[in-house]
Parts: sequence; structure tokens; C-alpha cells
Amino acid sequence: MITFENVGMRYGMGNEILTDISFSLKRGSFQFLVGPSGAGKTTLLKLLYLAHRPSRGLVNFFGKDLTILEREALPRIRRRIGVVFQDFRLFDHLTAFENVALPLRLQGAKKIQVADHVEELLSWVGLEDRLHARPATLSGGEKQRVAIARAIINKPDLLVADEPTGNVDAEMSRRLMHLFVALNKEGTTTVVATHDESLVKAVGAPVLRLDKGGMNFEPGGSPIDPGQ
Amino acid sequence: MWGRTLQFLPEQNLREGLLPWVIGVMLFLCTLSLTGAIAIGNGLERWSTSLTSNLTVQIAVQDKAQRMAQTEAALTLLQATPGIKSASVLADADIMALLSPWLGDMPLGTNLPVPTLIEVKLETTTPLNSKALTERLKATAPGAQLDDHQAWMAQILDMALVVQLLLGGVVVMVVMSTIAIVIFGCRAGLATHRDSIEIMHLMGAEDKTISTAFDVRYLAHGLKGGLLGVLFAAASLWLLSTMAEKMGQGLISASLPVADNLWWLALLPIAAASITMLTARFTVRKALLDMM
Repeated sequence: MITFENVGMRYGMGNEILTDISFSLKRGSFQFLVGPSGAGKTTLLKLLYLAHRPSRGLVNFFGKDLTILEREALPRIRRRIGVVFQDFRLFDHLTAFENVALPLRLQGAKKIQVADHVEELLSWVGLEDRLHARPATLSGGEKQRVAIARAIINKPDLLVADEPTGNVDAEMSRRLMHLFVALNKEGTTTVVATHDESLVKAVGAPVLRLDKGGMNFEPGGSPIDPGQ
Repeated sequence: MWGRTLQFLPEQNLREGLLPWVIGVMLFLCTLSLTGAIAIGNGLERWSTSLTSNLTVQIAVQDKAQRMAQTEAALTLLQATPGIKSASVLADADIMALLSPWLGDMPLGTNLPVPTLIEVKLETTTPLNSKALTERLKATAPGAQLDDHQAWMAQILDMALVVQLLLGGVVVMVVMSTIAIVIFGCRAGLATHRDSIEIMHLMGAEDKTISTAFDVRYLAHGLKGGLLGVLFAAASLWLLSTMAEKMGQGLISASLPVADNLWWLALLPIAAASITMLTARFTVRKALLDMM
């Protein structure tokens, strides 16, 4: 579904942050992306959620070669990708409902459809009583669940999460990971970048390990968290 | 278009809140400059109409008997000339009234050698050859001097044209400054909302969707500023014309545009809003092209 071949990435005239990265993500797979600080995790994620194009190499998304794809075609592909950030990146002036509704409204969904879908999804992430709360009044865990709901409201083919548990406590981290695993079981290809090796062990999913700009693939182990 | 606008931008901040006021001040200056140019145009039209429909013939002969004889001959010639509606000798009292600003009030019958003035009114339909008339007057009354005001009018017209050009320049500079201010405001807005724009892009928003949010915001700024500026300008013009009326029907009050001719003021807020919105649209779309 997504293929990276010999991808290199540098900003401007700086050194290459990613060097000869090659991997592919199969439909419905779950991967962790781990690595020390400065290894290039965020850069690789930016390539995955189409915030940047690679400096070199081939990148194929859903059968389309990103290196030659015109800028005007990017929004259509981006709508098939959901992104969750460590710092949530919610619109502070919008309510939880309005934040989650944005991707649907971008696609021109009808008001009634938007209402039904958003309420259902916020209920699924346990925020049915916080529909009209603004981000400033939500806890870290609640904000991240709103962000996850926003990322998956369009039923994306690929879900990319950048340190989604970085700003929440251990219990909330476990609950959020359950959400990601549940989404993956419904067929969403999922990539979660994390520093937390215990989460990786708990889920037991395969790992893409970045180090010094290069990448190693580690097969998944047995999950140790019975909750998933 | 506007009904479906996805307004993801937060409520305006203080900096954006000042923009309508700046646009308002610019439009105020623009309106006053335009009105000034129109007033000068109106004034010129009135002056030129009144001056080109009149001639003055002066009989400057020191000997009274000769002056009277030449006046009579000139009067006969003028009244017989095609294109002249009427010719009449200005009464001594009127001449003394004309001279009073320089010589003070003087009794009639004084021995001051004042020339005789003949006021000539022209027909508007038949053009008059003033050069030929001057020659015939010279032959009939050697002391006669014809003044068709052309030399004075030419200077006034030149001066008025320069002032009108300057006012036009002010309007152009004000419009350019407004565009520059909107561009700066827009760029600042783009920088402020960069994160929001990036998130919108990542969610699959097209450039058009994002720029429309800015269009709507800046259209409102332009409309607010335009209305403010025109209201202040209209109030100022009303004050000016009221004061001019109190001074009497002089050149100022006669030249100021009357309310019936001020319909174009209503177009200015629309023009300001359109310029502001289009400037914002081009600025935002250009900036968005630099983002992936």
C-alpha cells in the first residue's frame, strides 16, 4: 500500500537526516516506529503524512508515485491519511465536536451526517459528555482522544501517530494504545512513533527502528498486554 | 460560496482588529481627495461657463468727451455684432464699487480718470471671433481694450489641472498604501495561523478552501473600514458645505458636490472591500504555494 525505496531526506543544503530508507507498509498492518532522539522519526513521519516530499528516492502511496505527483493531487491522498500528534494540535477556538467534524466538512458531508458520525465517534472514544467542550477545558488524555477521533473520522487507510502517548499518564497511554489496536483490527494501517519501549512490548507489533538515519526492521513479539 | 465557507480561523486578534480602522482612515483620505478633485472640476466648469459667456470692453481715454464718444461708437459696434446678446455700459456707481477694495469708498463725480467699462454678454449658440472684434473695436474706438479673460482662465486652468493631478496622485498612493497594508496584514495573519493552515492541509484541505477563509475575513475588514471611512468623510463634507453655505453662495459652496451627486460614495466601501479581499486572496494563495 505504501512503499519507500532508497529514500533520502535533507532540509535545504543540510546533511541527510534519512539515508536510503526502504520499507513497505501492507494494508492493515501495525508498525511501531522507534529510535533515539535525532534519528529522524519525525522526518520520516512527515514524509508519511505528506508534509514533505523526499529529497531523493521513490515513495508510492496507494499506487501513486509521490515524487511526480502534482501538488493539486495531494489533498485527495491526504484525506486517506489520519494524523495524531503528541501535542494534539486541536483548534483551541473550536469545540471537541467541531474539531472532529472538520475533516468531514472538508469533504462536503451533510450536516446531519456530520452530527451522526461525530457523536458516534466521540462516544466510541469515551467523550460523549464532552462534545461541546473546548480543548482548554479538556485533560491531556481527553485532548488526545479528540485528536484521534479527528484523525479517524474519515476512516483513513493510513493512521500515523507521532508520540501519541507523550503527554498523557501511563493509564491513559494504555487506553490510547487499545484504541489504536482496535482501529488497526478494523483494517486501518497504523504507524505509531514512540519512545516508550514498554508500549512496544505490550502490543507486540513489528518495529521499524531508526538509527543514525538508517532503518532496521524487527518482527513483532507476543503481546504481553491481555487488554488488546 | 460564503455559505459553505469553512471558517477555521479563530476570532480576530488585536492586530487584525486594527485593520478596519487603518482602511477607514485610508478611505477617508481617498474620499476627501476625490471630492476635492470633483469640487475643482465643478468650480472650473462654473467659472469657465460664466467667463466665456462674458466679455469686458474697457475704454481707457483720459478726455471725458472723447471717452464718451468712443464708448458710444464701441457700444453701437458691439450691439450690431452677431454672437453678442447684449452690451451695456457699467454704471459709475458699479465701477466705484469694483474699485472700492483698492481705493476705498469714494464719492461719485470725483475727478479720478476712471475708464468706462462695457459689459458684453455673448450668445451661447453663435461663436464669437474675439480677434476680429478686437481689430474692429480698435478701428472704431482706438482707446478700447477687449478682455475675453482667456489669459487669466488659461493660468487658472493650468493651476487647477495640477491640483487635480496631485489629488489623483493622492488617491493612487492611498490605494497602493492600502494594498500594501493588507498584504502585510495578510502575511502576519498567515504567520500567526501557520499551524492551523498546516493542520488543514494535512486533513486534505485545498488551497481554495483555506484562502476562502481569509477572503471572508478580509472582505469583512474592508467593508467595515470602507463604511467607517465613508461615514467620516460624508460627515466632514456635510460640515464643510454647511460652513460654506453660511459664508454665502461663493465659489466653495457652489463647487462642493451636492448630495445628489454623491451616490458614488456608496460604492467606495464596496470598492475597498473588493480590493482588500482580492489582495488577501492573491497574497494567501501565493504563500500557500510555498507550502507543500
